[in-house]
Parts: sequence; structure tokens; C-alpha cells
Amino acid sequence: MAFAIELLNITKRFPGVTANDNVSVQVEESEIHGLLGENGAGKSTIMNILYGMSKPDEGILRLYGREVEFHSPMDAIRQGIGMVHQHFKLMPDETVLRNIILGWTPGKGLVIDEKKAVKDISEIMDKYGLKVNLKAKVNQISVGEKQRVEIIKALYRKVRILILDEPTAVLTPAETDALLETMQRLKEQGCTIIFITHKLREVLAVTDHVTVMRKGVVTGAGPTVEMNVGKLSRLIVGKEVSMEIPMKAFNPGKKVLEMKHVSTALRPGKMPLKDVSLVIHEGEIVGVAGVDGNGQSDLGEVIAGLIPVQSGRLFLDEEEITRKSIRQRRKKGIAHVPEDRLKTGAAKDCTISENLILNHYYQAPFSKNTIMDHKKITQVSEDLCGKYLVKTPDSTYTIGTLSGGNMQKVVVAREFSDSPRLLVAAQPTRGVDIGATQYIRTKIAELRDTGRGILLISAELDEVMAMADKIVVIYEGELVAQFGRGEADEYEIGEYMLGSKRREVAYGD
Amino acid sequence: METNIWKKRIDGAARAIGRQLCMMLVAIVIVMLFLAVSGYSPLIVWQGLGRAFTRDLSGTIRWAAPMILSGIAICIPFKAQVYNLGVDGQIYLGAIAATWVALAFPPDCSPAALPLVFAAAVLAGAAFAMIPAVLNLYCNTDIVVTTLLLNFVGRYLTEFMAAEVMRDQEKITQVNASRTLPESLWLPKLAAFGNSSANVGIYIAVMVAILAAILFFKTTHGYEIKLVGSNASFARYGGIHSNRVLLKAMALSGGVAGIIGAIEVTATQHRLIAAFNPDIGFDGIVVALLANNNPLGVLISGVFFGGLKNSGNVMERVTDVPNIVTQIVMAIIILTISANMTVCRRKRKKEALSK
Repeated sequence: MAFAIELLNITKRFPGVTANDNVSVQVEESEIHGLLGENGAGKSTIMNILYGMSKPDEGILRLYGREVEFHSPMDAIRQGIGMVHQHFKLMPDETVLRNIILGWTPGKGLVIDEKKAVKDISEIMDKYGLKVNLKAKVNQISVGEKQRVEIIKALYRKVRILILDEPTAVLTPAETDALLETMQRLKEQGCTIIFITHKLREVLAVTDHVTVMRKGVVTGAGPTVEMNVGKLSRLIVGKEVSMEIPMKAFNPGKKVLEMKHVSTALRPGKMPLKDVSLVIHEGEIVGVAGVDGNGQSDLGEVIAGLIPVQSGRLFLDEEEITRKSIRQRRKKGIAHVPEDRLKTGAAKDCTISENLILNHYYQAPFSKNTIMDHKKITQVSEDLCGKYLVKTPDSTYTIGTLSGGNMQKVVVAREFSDSPRLLVAAQPTRGVDIGATQYIRTKIAELRDTGRGILLISAELDEVMAMADKIVVIYEGELVAQFGRGEADEYEIGEYMLGSKRREVAYGD
Repeated sequence: METNIWKKRIDGAARAIGRQLCMMLVAIVIVMLFLAVSGYSPLIVWQGLGRAFTRDLSGTIRWAAPMILSGIAICIPFKAQVYNLGVDGQIYLGAIAATWVALAFPPDCSPAALPLVFAAAVLAGAAFAMIPAVLNLYCNTDIVVTTLLLNFVGRYLTEFMAAEVMRDQEKITQVNASRTLPESLWLPKLAAFGNSSANVGIYIAVMVAILAAILFFKTTHGYEIKLVGSNASFARYGGIHSNRVLLKAMALSGGVAGIIGAIEVTATQHRLIAAFNPDIGFDGIVVALLANNNPLGVLISGVFFGGLKNSGNVMERVTDVPNIVTQIVMAIIILTISANMTVCRRKRKKEALSK
């Protein structure tokens, strides 16, 4: 079989790092090719080169056997390469149709021939079995549909090679299955797909070949049939990783947190909570499953005190904290890993140590009578960076220079290190590579085993199911179901997540 | 470890100073081009600057003090991403308060009253700066707009005070001015320069800059200001009240501006004159920008701008090049700074993209 894409001996250097060191990726025509690796392994660099966003220092790029050179993504698109980014690039206030034809409008001069566009797009939708309502506004459709719009957009541009960058990170299990099916159909119709993901299960299910990268080099490549989970994870992290997280037997203690009929006010772009009641005990992980945007943000933030309670009451260790300030709650032992570490969890122009001392900068040992003790601060920061395996030369670097996983380790170090009574962990492993993910999960398990209460909010159902002693499902701001560990499988939980089922929830115990 | 950090710090400082000098140089070279095109000798700028830092050093010192202070007044709130464009108005209020208090003392009072004069100026400047801050917190008005507009209030209030309320009834002059302050409350001149305009205001300016550096780098207030400036929701998430930080930063800024007013009144004018302030507050923006908001850097750029201001006067005196040339230098410095910032941002964006 002929190769559709050949990236041969690509080397790309950035000041201080070699992002790609003699990397070769060969993708056959009409296959699904998995590209795997931790964050910072060099996957994005090689894909940016393929998509014309950056130029290699050495090496060549061949498409269908012909050597090409790209100067911008436009060149790549003209050669039939399309990319669906992890963060969709759509205009929320415009219709699906207009989003698809943007930049490739049929018609003459200033007049748009919408009829022709609708006809062309309908043909594509029929051919590949992709259905979306073209008249709907983008802000009214679901995440899965948005992704379909992105794929249709690429196909409409006559793309033969499609790069999907972590497409399943935001999808429910059912939506993921649908996407994988679509990918199969695209392949049957002659499309070549490069599938970038962290999830080994999906790779094994759908790809024909895989290429694994680590630290800028290719550590393994070959037909998927010769791979298994163990082999892949060894190639990705360089050593065997156990996906199991060791935890003690479930032995809950006293109530740590109690929410009684809590509702929050409507904010633009966020789903408010409606009458949520929940109890978290010592030594218990309560996992919140749900599709993104169903009130998870409000749930974490209302407990941490970032947004006010509209009605209902909150108790920490039997003491009412409904009206307590953020700092008072932190002092009483609430730690919070926020869902958006760039927006809320870190100040990226500040140094790592400035980020680490946020919770205690105003107290001894970090400061005395408002004068800060930089020596002590540096010392403690270096300790924490060492203890939480933050990869950095020293703690005076700005946190913005760290990779996503390392940045999250700084957040985790800050929030976990003062042994909280209650930890609210919102999307603690989002966009974090396998090594760091395992590490963070192990730390959460450690907190649980030492008798803290933990609220784990995660869009990764696997994570919730693996970690939680009790799973609650959130849908449109309400808790619609509650399960003990192992009481339901992911498809059943998925149905509650999509709102197609609900059942009475027994609160309190 | 310890030496490493110091090495890094010294390295950083050297680079920052190099950057400052570079931008000043670029601006001067561009002005030379302007002069050459307009038929003047391009070397005039160098002559002017040369004289400003040799024979006419006293004038440079006189101007460096307000330039440094104004740069500090700008960079404190700037660090919290708050733009106080009302330093000029706060200078006027400081001057009014200083004059008012000074005139309340008898002509033969002791110089020990001077701190009181300055304290009044600081309070008045701070209070005036709180108006836009409070308006912002309670009515959500834009601080840039309100501070800018309050400059006119400050300026015309001074004119009103000088022309009506505090007007010297005994002297009939064309200028609207108050009575002269008691001589014991005049800020002493620098003895080394004899009877020149150089005064101890420069000591005050250096002290304030050092205090600001301590505030920024050594205290929890500086930490809070920096956090609020670099990511306000992160600061809030850590339990910091960004409103209080805003008020604090604006009050400090206004207070420093008030000191400028007091120095101008007690050291140079010796009375309250309408429109005495040649837009020192706006010069402060350039001073702070050039120093990249570092109070110690402000010391350097403040002296440079003091020299520039002085050299403008010198040039006008000895050649026929108008004073306005110095304004062109400042404008070009702003342009080089923004060009520099754009380039840096692009470079960073490119790096981030290709990562």
C-alpha cells in the first residue's frame, strides 16, 4: 500500500529543547493512524509541521510520494490536509451552515449561494453518515455536534487527510462510540486519519497503525494488532505503569461536608445548581460524573466560596459555612483544585514559588508583619517542587514556562500540601499526560486513605469510576442519580449523564 | 543555589538596564533623523543632553525628582493592571493642600512644620485618587476615563484657588497666585550647586523609589498587587480582596503624586500658581514604561527624562530648536517601547504555538 504521508527524519529545535529529534512518521493511504505520547512528547510539534504551522529544521515531508513544503496552514489545506483542534474554532453566534462555509463560500462576488452550499454539505453528510442541523446556531448544539461540524467543515474543504487532536477528551462514552464509528466510515470512503489521543482503549479499538513518541523521539511504531495496553504504555512512559491505584478498603468516618438544598444564581455561560444535596464523609471520594457544562463548575465553586449560595446551606464539620468568605473556608480546611488552571488555578506571569504560597503568604513562616521571608519561601517551594515531582530547574521560573502537566502538579502541590479536611478536585487530570495523571490520582488516593473527604469532579468517566467510593451524576444542575462503587457500568451512567434516565437519589448516607 | 539566584538577578538587572539604554538610544537616533530632515544639525540633541548632564546638571536634578516620583505613582497601580492617568490632577491637589497648610503657619515658623505640609499633600493626593477607585467599585466606571477627566478638575480647581480663594490680595500681578509661603518652609536647595534650581526633592524621590521597591519585592502588599495584576481571578481564588488591593494601590499612587505637588510648591514656586504643572503625570507614564514598572529602573529612566526635560530648555536657550523636540523624543520612546512589546509578544506566541 502506498503512503499518504511521509514525514522523514524531521528535526525541530526550540531554544533549549529539541522538540522533534529525527522523527519519522509514515501513514498509509486510507488508514487510521494513532499518534500517542505524553504531553511534551513532540506530537503537536510534528502535527504543526504537517499542518504548515511551523517549519522543520531538518527532514522532508512527502504527500502521496511527492515532496512538498508548506509555508502556512492554507498550503496544507490546499493539499487536502484538515485538522480538528481540541478546542473548536467555531463562531458561537452563527449558524452551523455559515460556520462550515466560512472562507470557502460558493457564489459570485459578494453574493453567497447558500442553496449550493446546503446541497454540497447535505451530500457530504449523507455520504459519511454525519448529521447536524445546518440551521441551528452553534451555541445551541452539543459538544459532540460541534465536533461533527468541525469534521464536516474539513470534508467540505475536500480534505483527504484528517488530523483529529484528542477528539474524545470532551465526549461522553456514547458520543465517543459514535465518533469512532464515523472515523471507520471516513476510512472506508478513502479518508486518511491521524488520531491523536491519550486513551489506549480507543487506539486499540480503531487504529490500523500506531506511532508512539516520547521526549521528542519515536519510541515505537507498527500495526495495531501487534500492540496491547501494556506494550503501549511502556512505549509512552518508558516503564510499566500500573493503571490500578492502590487504595485501602472503604471505611468512611464522620461527615466532612454537607450540602443542603443548595441552588446558585444563573451566570452567563454556566449552568446553575438546582437544589443539590450531598454529603461527603472522612475517607470518602465522591465522584461527580456528567457531561461538561451541566453545573460542575458551580458545584466546585460554591463549596470553595467563589460564588455565593442563592438558597440552601453548607456545612463543614457540622459548622455552617454558607456565608463564610473564601479565605475563612480555606482556613477551615477546604482545598480546591479549580477546573481551569490557567484562568483560576495559576498566575502564569508569576513565579512557581509565588504560585505555591498563595494560601499562606500572609502567615508565618512566609511573612511576618507583612514583610516576606524570601529565603524561607524559596526553601519551601524547592521542597514542594521536589516532593511533587515538578520538572523545573528551580522555583524562580514563571509558571507559564511549564507544561500543562507540570503546572497542574504545582496546583496540586499547593492544594494538597496543607492536609485539607476537604478537597474539591475539579478536572484534576484534564490535559495532563499519563505519568502525571497516575501521580495525581495516587495523591488523591493518599488523601482519602488518611481520612480526608474528597469531591472529585471529572469529565473522564473512567477516572470517576476508578476512584470514587460514591458516584453522583449531574445533569442540568441537578443530581439525577447516585451509585456505590461498581453498582453501574459506564453505559448506564452515560444514560443518566445524557438526561435520558433519572432516579430518586437517597441523600445523607 | 544562593549564588545562582544572585547571578540570575544581576543578569536580569543588567539586561533590563541594557534594554532601557537601547530604547533611549533608538529614540534619540530617530529624533536626529527628524532634525536632519528639517534642516537642523542632528547633533543638537547630543549637545543639549551633554550640557544637561554637565554644566546644567542642577536643572536635570531639579526635574529628575518629579519625573521619578511620577514614574513611581504610575507604576504602583500599573502593577495591578490599573491605569492611573490622573497623576497630574493629584499633583494639583497635593499642591493646593501643601500651600493651604503652609500658609496657615506664621511667617516665622520653624521648618519642623514641613513634614505636616507634605503629609497634607499626600492625604489630598490620595483622597483625590480614591474618587475614581470608589466610582469604579460602586458604579463600575472606567478608571482610565475618570482619572483622565479628573485631571481637568484638579487643574481648574487650582486655577480657582489661585485666582479666588487663596489669591494674594496685596500684590497685583497678572498671574493668578497665592501669597508666598513662609521662607522657613521652603525646601532647601542642594548646597553643592549654589543658587540653582536643584533641591532636596531629589532625596525624597530616591527615598520614595526605594520604599516602593521594598513594597513591591519584600512585602505581602506587593505580592497581592502583583497577583491581582497578573491574574485577578487567581488572586480571588486565593481569598485576596482585589477591591481592597485596588483602593490601596490607587491611594499610594495618589499619595506619591501629592508629594510632587508639595515639592513643586515648596521648592520651586514658593506659592500656588495656576497651571504650574507641565504634564509631569503624563511624562511619568513613559518613565514607568521605559523602566518596565520596576521602581529601581524608574530611578534611571527618571533621571534620563529629567535630563531630557532640562536639555529641551537648554536647547531652546542656546539654539533655535524649539523645546517641543523633547516631546518628540518621548513620543518616539513610547513607540519604540510598544514596538518592543509587540515583538516580544509575537515571539512568545510563536514559541507557544510551536511547542
